[in-house]
Amino acid sequence: MRILFGGVFLVLLAGCSSGNKSEEQAFADALEGTDLETQVISGEVNDILHRIPSPLEISVLLKESGKKYNASVLNSPDNLSRYNTNYKRALNLGIYGTDLGYTNIYEQRQDGIRYMSSIRDLAVELNIGQFFETETIGRLVSNSSNLDSLLLITTQNFNSINHYLQSQNRSHLSVLFLTGGWLEALHITCEVAKSNPTNPQLQETIGAQKIILDNILHLLSFYKENDRNMAGLLADLEPLKQSFDKVVITTIYKPSTFQVVDGVMVVKDNSSSTVEITQSDVESIRSIAQNIRTKIIS
Amino acid sequence: MKKLFFFVFSVFALSGFDSSAQCNAETLSSQCIPKLASGYNFLKSYKVEKAGKEYVEYSYVFTKGTQYMINICAPDQNSDGIVVTLYDSKRNKVASNKVDDQYIAAIAYPCNATGIYYIQYTFDDESSFCGGSALGFKR
Repeated sequence: MRILFGGVFLVLLAGCSSGNKSEEQAFADALEGTDLETQVISGEVNDILHRIPSPLEISVLLKESGKKYNASVLNSPDNLSRYNTNYKRALNLGIYGTDLGYTNIYEQRQDGIRYMSSIRDLAVELNIGQFFETETIGRLVSNSSNLDSLLLITTQNFNSINHYLQSQNRSHLSVLFLTGGWLEALHITCEVAKSNPTNPQLQETIGAQKIILDNILHLLSFYKENDRNMAGLLADLEPLKQSFDKVVITTIYKPSTFQVVDGVMVVKDNSSSTVEITQSDVESIRSIAQNIRTKIIS
Repeated sequence: MKKLFFFVFSVFALSGFDSSAQCNAETLSSQCIPKLASGYNFLKSYKVEKAGKEYVEYSYVFTKGTQYMINICAPDQNSDGIVVTLYDSKRNKVASNKVDDQYIAAIAYPCNATGIYYIQYTFDDESSFCGGSALGFKR
């Protein structure tokens, strides 16, 4: 009986092995989210999470405005080995997600495959690897006629990840993922604007990020009391907020009109908004965002 | 005792009047994705289930210069009495798919004012109180 008990104990112990992680790393990861994993995520957090726009919108804007592909502004997939905590993994999963969207829009297949590989590795470390079927996505990346399908699948995957994390009481990782993705989109836009300093559309796009930053700061504030990493990120973003405070967004509402065309209600939006932002503001935002990003990707 | 039994039965029956016990909003929201018009990139899918609520609401930051499309998929015909209304950040009504007692299956919204927009789903009496929706964009 003692031998049987010992054998069962050894089997269970082997089954609890952390696999490729060292025992110390597995222990640290388990502690990192312990307090937050038991939190009930409020409806307000989920509501705000869902309203953060996809970085894909900015990638499409950049491409359709004629800006050329520039891989040097992205975070190298080779930096993956630096991300050894769930905090850094989640942030850089978001960053790589934005980079992937950028490479996809510009149909840079080889770069896309490299980013997919790094994303997959990060997702596995975060215990969400089930959302990336590497073989399927790899085939799509290599088939240029499936760009629409590729964009659809990757967007659906990232949406599913967020839903899953929220259902597992791990919304803090969703917040980090979206923050990283947004910051990377801001960074890319700022770098492109640096090369096109008089482009009003780019300046306006940058200025409009003020609205999203306000929401991200609100999200991070839910966690600042219980998580020093997220409190630190909130503090790091404060100078960026101060720069954005100089940006003035004015909206004038006018009732819209519409017509039904081929079964679709086509609205004419008569409202308007203006974004007051100077080149000095843009440079300040660019510089601060770069500093924050450098800290995250290092 | 009979009155008590009838009362309890009525409570359960009425609470399930707009029941979504069989509501497959997840499937319906997925069905809406390929129904986004050509050229629109998929952004989000939304489950639309009344489940005792007055309305279902989501929000998203729309960007000036971008065109968005919101469509509705329901078990029966077109949008099956589900009304989708778009409000800006100040809760001004921007668009609605209900026109002259007709329910239009999709709204195309070219945004001229960046900001938070609220996408609200309500249910007219003839609705099955269950549906799905998808949001897409194009420049």
